[in-house]
Amino acid sequence: MRRLIPALLALAAAPSLADTDVPIDYAVQLKVTPILCITDERTPSCQISFLVIWQSEQTGYYCLYNDFEESELRCWTDKRSGELNEERTVQTDFSYWMTGNDDESLLAMVTVEVLRMDTGDRRRNRRSRHVWNIF
Amino acid sequence: MNSQTGIALLMLFASSACIAATSPADQDSTANSRATEQITGAMAPDERGESRWQLGIALGYGLRTNPLVQSDDIPIIVDIDIAWFGDHFFFDNGDFGLTFADNEWVTTSVVARVNSDRVFFGRTNTKFVTVDLAGQPLTSAVQLSIPDRDFAAELGIEMLADGRWGRLQLTAHHDISGTHKGYEIAFDYVYGWRNQRWYFEPSFGLSYKSEAMNNYYWGVRPGESNEALPAYEAGSGTNAHARLQFGYQISRHWSFAMVGEFERLNDEAAASPIVDERNVFGYFAGFGYRFR
Repeated sequence: MRRLIPALLALAAAPSLADTDVPIDYAVQLKVTPILCITDERTPSCQISFLVIWQSEQTGYYCLYNDFEESELRCWTDKRSGELNEERTVQTDFSYWMTGNDDESLLAMVTVEVLRMDTGDRRRNRRSRHVWNIF
Repeated sequence: MNSQTGIALLMLFASSACIAATSPADQDSTANSRATEQITGAMAPDERGESRWQLGIALGYGLRTNPLVQSDDIPIIVDIDIAWFGDHFFFDNGDFGLTFADNEWVTTSVVARVNSDRVFFGRTNTKFVTVDLAGQPLTSAVQLSIPDRDFAAELGIEMLADGRWGRLQLTAHHDISGTHKGYEIAFDYVYGWRNQRWYFEPSFGLSYKSEAMNNYYWGVRPGESNEALPAYEAGSGTNAHARLQFGYQISRHWSFAMVGEFERLNDEAAASPIVDERNVFGYFAGFGYRFR
């Protein structure tokens, strides 16, 4: 058991390493909260308020976009940071991204994941778990 | 499998899966690129685009008490979830099924499984005792062994239904291996609440065990009895059980869960001389990794 506990702690710490892609060295730091949204049979979509925060080392002109709108959500002039709060109802993964003066240059992007906990197979949703099955 | 070797292999399995995973970031983090989901041949999806496989592994710690006299509790370190669902056939953690009716109201399948009552008989001890199980002194030391019992293969019908009211599972299984020659009828009701990453799921149920089945596992045949262990014949009975699960979805793949379980053995089983504790308690807490 003494050997097992450190191993379990190491495993518990693994998610942040295992599930995070190698960060891309973007010019702008973009953070979205929450980044994971969970749906199931009773709640097939997520109605969530997303907080988008960005920060740059350089003052300038920056615009924020997402997959739902063709035009920018908001642009900032002569700023090096900013934030936006928006309510959305989503059912699939989508992204926020930022550009600068040049609309073609991607400065940062974050993908919000929508994770479905139920499946399209009724048997899987309906079967009771075995005693120790925690999944 | 040796438990330490098994744990080491499973840890290796889990860690290699972590390395292989190429999912998007799950934490509130800085910018990340879009993910590309890897679909291997073994995970070939069904017509809905979902993988037919359901694979997961959890590591943690738990225990299930053993109701038998002279027995050890059952430790739980690893929880493996492995299932495959075809169009009609499925395998779900030891259950083999053929679904012949599946509609909005009910799913009905023929299911073959291995009975779970045998699990307690794998962790018993043999001792020389000088008092019998009622506490009366014996004239000389007598060897007291818990009779061995076999796993039974069973075949039966399973009916499943769900809705906003929860999930209901009705099952009826009969022994097809000639082990106990009895049957079991059970129902289980589950209601789950989810609030984004948090999940809470209580469930309860009843399980009727026929006389033949109950007597096979909990009875003591005359040939197995001695001065310390009297013969006993068990009649039919109904077990009751309840389960409570609490979970937190850490990320797309990882979750943390705690589960507690309680099972009350039926009167006939509880009165058996080989039963020391009528109530069976269990718990498990651990981190789970789901392959998606």
